[in-house]
Amino acid sequence: MKKKVLSSLICLSMCATMLFGCGNAASEQTTTQDQAPAAETTAAAETPAAEAAETTEATGEKVTLSIYTQYADDDTKVPYDYAVEQLAEAYPNVELNLIVQAQDDGQTLKTLAATGQLPDIYQASTDLINTFRSSNQIMVLNDVAESTGFLEKLYDANKDLAYAEDGNIYAFPFSGQEYVLWYYNKALFAEYNLEVPQTYDDLLNCINVFKENGIVPLALFGQEGWNTAAAFDVIATRYNAGGIKALDEGSASVTDQAYVDAANTMEQLVAAGLYQSDATTTNYDQASQMFLAGEAAMFINGQWYIEDATKALGENVDWMFYPAADAASYEAGKAAFSGGGSASGFAVNPDSPNAALAAEVAEFITEKYCEAKVMYRHNPLVALDTGKEPDSEYPAMMKKLSDTLPSITSTTKFTWGLTNSTFNDAIQSESQGLVSGQFSAAEFIENMADSMQ
Amino acid sequence: MKKYMGNKLAIFLFILPALAIFLIFDFIPILQVFAYSFTQWNGLTTPTFTGLENYFRLFQDRVFVTSNKNQLIFAILITVYQMLFATIFAITISDAKMKGRKFLRVAYFIPVILSVTVVCQLWSAILSGQGLLNKLFEAFGSDYTQNWLGDRYKAIYVIAFVNAWQWMGYQFALIVAGIKSISTDYYEAARIDGCTNAGAHRHITIPLLAETYKFCLVISLTGGIKAFTEMNILTGGGPNKSTYTLTYMMYNAAFKKSEYGYGLAAATVMVLECMIVMLVINFIFRDKDQRKEEERSRRKRHAD
Repeated sequence: MKKKVLSSLICLSMCATMLFGCGNAASEQTTTQDQAPAAETTAAAETPAAEAAETTEATGEKVTLSIYTQYADDDTKVPYDYAVEQLAEAYPNVELNLIVQAQDDGQTLKTLAATGQLPDIYQASTDLINTFRSSNQIMVLNDVAESTGFLEKLYDANKDLAYAEDGNIYAFPFSGQEYVLWYYNKALFAEYNLEVPQTYDDLLNCINVFKENGIVPLALFGQEGWNTAAAFDVIATRYNAGGIKALDEGSASVTDQAYVDAANTMEQLVAAGLYQSDATTTNYDQASQMFLAGEAAMFINGQWYIEDATKALGENVDWMFYPAADAASYEAGKAAFSGGGSASGFAVNPDSPNAALAAEVAEFITEKYCEAKVMYRHNPLVALDTGKEPDSEYPAMMKKLSDTLPSITSTTKFTWGLTNSTFNDAIQSESQGLVSGQFSAAEFIENMADSMQ
Repeated sequence: MKKYMGNKLAIFLFILPALAIFLIFDFIPILQVFAYSFTQWNGLTTPTFTGLENYFRLFQDRVFVTSNKNQLIFAILITVYQMLFATIFAITISDAKMKGRKFLRVAYFIPVILSVTVVCQLWSAILSGQGLLNKLFEAFGSDYTQNWLGDRYKAIYVIAFVNAWQWMGYQFALIVAGIKSISTDYYEAARIDGCTNAGAHRHITIPLLAETYKFCLVISLTGGIKAFTEMNILTGGGPNKSTYTLTYMMYNAAFKKSEYGYGLAAATVMVLECMIVMLVINFIFRDKDQRKEEERSRRKRHAD
């Protein structure tokens, strides 16, 4: 009997412990759910945003806003640190709680959204904006953009970047039009008496010379799909200025002769040994190190790499216009660049208890990001006209790019700016196949066409 | 004990917590996976029922064929490698006369306690284009340098080897424990009958480890079917998805393309494959009594 009583008591205590644990979770959840509509009401009631900020300042209440953004290298750390410093002066009652963005294609953010735990402010790409629009988890910022004067500060060339497909503003972009640059090591070209290639025949000659001398012609970080897509795009734009953007929008088909020619050219260059043999398993650090150490003669990356490349190689580094099939195409192609801007930037969680204040802070941070990029990263290609000057002279490559900008007539997109996720996935993996040299141009075209059906 | 086992309420109450956890965290989510695989869903909004559309798409997807082929290669390779070497090593160190047994026992198990990420980074450094392995070939004047992780056909074998290398120690520990539980009387009797050491292991050790082998087979084969981490770290599924598995397809569809319905259709197929493998293993390892019972009922049916 004693045993029965004891066993029943143990069972009951186990059940009670379990129920207590679950009960606590349930009550927490209930609180959150109860708070959600209240937060919405608060956010709605307190618009315009300025009122919210004033209220916070007036009450002296400390507000902590969570922010999910990149904080990995100088290009992301410097602007963030500067923005935090400036925020402390302009909004003494606001503190930021940084959640470092994971390089996981938005997986963390989507999981946070699915569980109702989105940060107050988050860095959103075009894909995320489109996804969160459908679930109403991204705030429409039209009013805030107007009241804070954000729209007036936007460069004319970047006006489109602020608006999503439905004509609303969901994120404050801080990057302007960006470009894929084909960097090269001037010292290595001079050492082997090579001219900067203008045509693919010139490029093939450079490949042969570099390979004979144990130099990797072009270091690619093909582990990242965007880099292989960019490598294809710099060739595709020589045949159709629309490049991968035209395919993404559906205004061109991958079976068009231009893209077939581009794929064939890339296959030929890969076979000649343009990229290192393990390009598809090389990451950014490895490829960059090869280029900066003089083990590779060329490198493909965005214009944001100018600062780092100049620091390491000084005057020995420059960028070239992408080579083309012949001299005429080369000259004509100087106006068509791979890359471009995208409707991505700082977005706000509409369910945040401080949504209105978060929107205002997001706009403020965006502006400070642009300032820091101009002043300390020597990158004038930002979304806003900040009126700031760099703390030292722009690097020669940036000056060259600035001089070229007025003549650029068309750009494409980086993969994070593509709107068709099926195409985005396909172009990243299929271009990687081409780079590996184990997939033919015909396979590339066939697989891409299949994916898009 | 008998009295206690007769208390149905106590049994139920003791089972309840584990049962509840299993139902809430395993069974119901699996049912949800099945249900959502018939929908178009981005993970955030209300799913739309689309019937078998995701499955039709999946079966026509060229990556589906590649993924299944990779899983098969991966599962077979790690099973053969792990069970073979784990058995050899376990039998070797079970010999009391062997020197350095303790050291070897620890050495074989060390990779198991390392994080998968650490192991993959280690092998990535060894197998990369300018890695240790290729450098060794060069040092010995051989031109057999390879793009180990970037080859569309060979990479899956290399990845499977990395997994097999890491987890062999786990099966080794199971088999060592199994060998220790076998009474030494059997071996003494065999020796008296003139049986050799190898013969004793063949006729005593291996048959008596049937249950251990069954467990090892289950974890190896299902582990192979579910493989993801090594591919993700070593090759990113590339080049051009040639090292994809169904788990990778699910991950890519759900988290990169926001096509949760399609991803969950891949997950459903993977769950079914794991279940089929389990059923086959259970069928192969039926115990003798069960087989006799089946035989008896079959005869009875024929007699009727």
